[in-house]
Amino acid sequence: MTDAAMGRPAATTKAISVRKPSGGGGGWQRIFTIERIVMGAAILALFVLVVFPLCFLLVGSVWSEGRFTLEYFAEALSGRLYLQALLNSLILGAWTGLFSLLLGLPMAWAVARTNVPGKGLIALTANLSYLSPPFLTAIAFVNLFGNNAGLINVFFRDVVGAPWLGFNIFSMPGLVLVTVLHTFPYVFLLASSALQSVDASYEEAAQILGAGKLRTALSITTPLVMPAILSGVLLAFVNAIALFGSQAIIGLPGRIVTLPTRIYSLFDYPAQYALASALSLLFVVITVAALYIQRAYLAKRSFVTLGGKGARPQLMDLGFWKWPLLGFCVVVFFVSIVLPYATLIAVSLSKSWGLNFWQGLTLEHYRFVLFDYDVTQRAIVNSLGLAMAAATIAVLLGAIIGWIDIRTHIPGRKFLDYAALVPLGLPGIVMAVALIQFWLSMPVALYGTLTILLLAYVGRYIPLGVRAANTSLRQIDPTLEESARILGASWARTLKEITLPLMRPGLFAGWLLVFVPVIQELSASILLFSSSSMTLAVAIYNLYETGYTEPVAALAMTNMAIIVVVIAIARRIGGGAIGRKEGDVAPQGGAA
Amino acid sequence: MAGISIAGISKGYGPQHARMMALKHLDLEIADGQFVTLLGPSGCGKTTTLRLIAGYVTPDTGSIHAGGRLLSSPSGVVSPEGRGMGMVFQNYAVWPHKTVYENIAFGLKLRKISGAQLRAKVEEALQLVNLGGLESRFPNELSGGQQQRVALARSLVVEPDILLLDEPLSNLDAKLRERMRSELKQLQRRTGVTFIYVTHDQAEALALSDQIAVMHGGELQQYGSPFDVYTRPANRIVADFMGLVNFVPGRIAAIEGGAARVEAETGHVMAVPVTEGLAGGTPVEIAVRPENITLAAAVDAGDAARVRERVFLGNICEYTVALPSGTALRVQTHPLQQFAEGDAVVVSIDPGQCSVFPREPAAEAKAAA
Repeated sequence: MTDAAMGRPAATTKAISVRKPSGGGGGWQRIFTIERIVMGAAILALFVLVVFPLCFLLVGSVWSEGRFTLEYFAEALSGRLYLQALLNSLILGAWTGLFSLLLGLPMAWAVARTNVPGKGLIALTANLSYLSPPFLTAIAFVNLFGNNAGLINVFFRDVVGAPWLGFNIFSMPGLVLVTVLHTFPYVFLLASSALQSVDASYEEAAQILGAGKLRTALSITTPLVMPAILSGVLLAFVNAIALFGSQAIIGLPGRIVTLPTRIYSLFDYPAQYALASALSLLFVVITVAALYIQRAYLAKRSFVTLGGKGARPQLMDLGFWKWPLLGFCVVVFFVSIVLPYATLIAVSLSKSWGLNFWQGLTLEHYRFVLFDYDVTQRAIVNSLGLAMAAATIAVLLGAIIGWIDIRTHIPGRKFLDYAALVPLGLPGIVMAVALIQFWLSMPVALYGTLTILLLAYVGRYIPLGVRAANTSLRQIDPTLEESARILGASWARTLKEITLPLMRPGLFAGWLLVFVPVIQELSASILLFSSSSMTLAVAIYNLYETGYTEPVAALAMTNMAIIVVVIAIARRIGGGAIGRKEGDVAPQGGAA
Repeated sequence: MAGISIAGISKGYGPQHARMMALKHLDLEIADGQFVTLLGPSGCGKTTTLRLIAGYVTPDTGSIHAGGRLLSSPSGVVSPEGRGMGMVFQNYAVWPHKTVYENIAFGLKLRKISGAQLRAKVEEALQLVNLGGLESRFPNELSGGQQQRVALARSLVVEPDILLLDEPLSNLDAKLRERMRSELKQLQRRTGVTFIYVTHDQAEALALSDQIAVMHGGELQQYGSPFDVYTRPANRIVADFMGLVNFVPGRIAAIEGGAARVEAETGHVMAVPVTEGLAGGTPVEIAVRPENITLAAAVDAGDAARVRERVFLGNICEYTVALPSGTALRVQTHPLQQFAEGDAVVVSIDPGQCSVFPREPAAEAKAAA
């Protein structure tokens, strides 16, 4: 490959010839520059992480006993069990999307465009809901609304004597409720940033032509922000149907089987790999279709330009109506944050969960999960190590792939970009199936090791790393790098001293965005773990399965404490300007 | 009809105890059918004034009337949609999700105009700004100049009495700006609409306006015709802002009739028209525009001025000339009148075109600058 084909700026060769006027080294040095080795390694890593596993997933679904067959797809598309799972997933996704809109949009509008008090609380509600592991919320709600043993149901049945006031969480409405509490932040974040970014003069221009507030809102503001809002709804949909934890915890007892839980059940002995692969591919078709609509259609129709100087929308004075709006937001805060965490804390501290739970407060369960239960400590170490490693690798890999995409003209770089975005449409359980298909046919025994978990996490969250890198690279003028090169700095040195330090805030935000979902990852881990590679989320889920209500809550609170502590430390190390970045990248991915 | 009268308007931003005054007690009378420019550097209050007229901002004190109707006062404002004005924004604000046709038709539809009449009016507006044939384009398919015309057509099609323009040409390149400038002026003459135009470009203001309101530091400095504002600046700030000017220190020797005999530090003594009461002996600054100075080759090189720098600008030639007193003057001459750097020259000033202002103490002068 020549320099021209590599598309590097002429400055490279010039810089070398300034330093060594007599000419460069031999042919070997010209071909194996650090630059090419690093870029080649990054490209290879992307293939191993994403492209090969997906290929094996495809092959595994149509190849059986040495011949091509469509019988697994036929079965996945005709079997009653599978169609029911597909239908349930779509119903769940649709309701979740709708309710995410109904919750997220008013809150976004309140924060972005009105004088409602307590905006900090509203933004906090959305951020905490996004950070909360969805299966913890599910467990908390089971403790309140479990059909027979849920505290509130018991209260209505035994104390009030009105069992019809109770609510059975093990139902589709219950599943939607628990899922929405995690997905409405997608709508909130995208809608609020869009509403804030609409240039005020668009609305003022309509006003001076005689349009009233309502007319302006309907014919100017709404069409301008609609693409962003629909994007948020689609992201909520995609993430909702991919959540294994809540669908297993809420759905299975209520006999609501969805695609992730159906795929999971196919791994009961004897494991039906081919059928699982076919079902996984159908799953991917749905999520990729949704994301494709979002990217190809909505992103192009997005008129909202970020950061325009005129983007200072006037806040609407709601008068009395700001109180009902604030009340609505406080209710959401209460249901999505206070209720689940107060419940988990209460459960974890009570001797036995029930109507008189405060009469025997104890730290016994914490002692049990932290010291007696032999799995916990191993799980904490594993989860912390995996999350840090996965976040670091995903971000560095993302930086190099982003750099290749933005700064070079290598043919096929767009393919790299797409390949790195594909996992956004891969539910965790599908990623796990693909990795199993791939690595089981390799001569390396990875199944059940920490390594395969790491591969799953990095592969699944590489899009967040690439997004973070792309965003910050686009803000760095290429001449900053070029001036280092012209002074004689090598590619690696420029990367180390100029590019990476400038990207640091963005990369750090990306690191946190990967770390948080990884440390609570359940969907892929549930298929890939072994007793030696146990993670926190799996430990909680297994403990829950065995029915230890109070220790589960103690372990869940431990998990939350670890997440909060790591975020606090990381923010301190990463510097103050980071938090603000989060919103820019956050809505792109999810924890499932 | 639709003259505007602004009386005692003030507007500040920020909390009461640390309020930044954007506008301090502005009075302005704008006659119907005029092209009036609010001119000044950024932060002078011109955009705040425009937004007050449009009704986006509520004044702290004072009132705004249009055609005899009270529009704004601290106790309440008629909302922008109730004012029947038009406005062209600096960034055009052409709605990106609507076609050119839909952009222009929006205001007409609000006025319940539809069908053939709507089409005819939109068509007419498009012809007015020379955009015929582009009806179905989206704004991102238009150049900056074309978007500008869409914004103009959109505002004019509803036949407003008053059109507000907020630096509408500042995002265009120089050539296009000049063309749009003359089109704007013609448009105003043809439609008879009152134009209120905000800009920081004094050349634009001179070229377009019937009246210019020069603003600085939230206050009106001078309100008059372009000729008046340029040739008879009311104060040092206006003289400095409008074009190039030399300030020569001097002293008033005596007041004789309508003129003052001024002794400049350069040694020149001249009779300058005086506007306000300046007594004999007052230290003053004489504002001399470069084009009102003429140079001639000096016969006696002894104590003549010398050409220090020469810049050829095509249509004129600009010299920096050092006087024997040490003062340096900028001089503009016909390009064919050529002197070399170092040449000895005689400097003569046309006193009739000079203005004098009381010399302010250094600190005050700094604050004003």
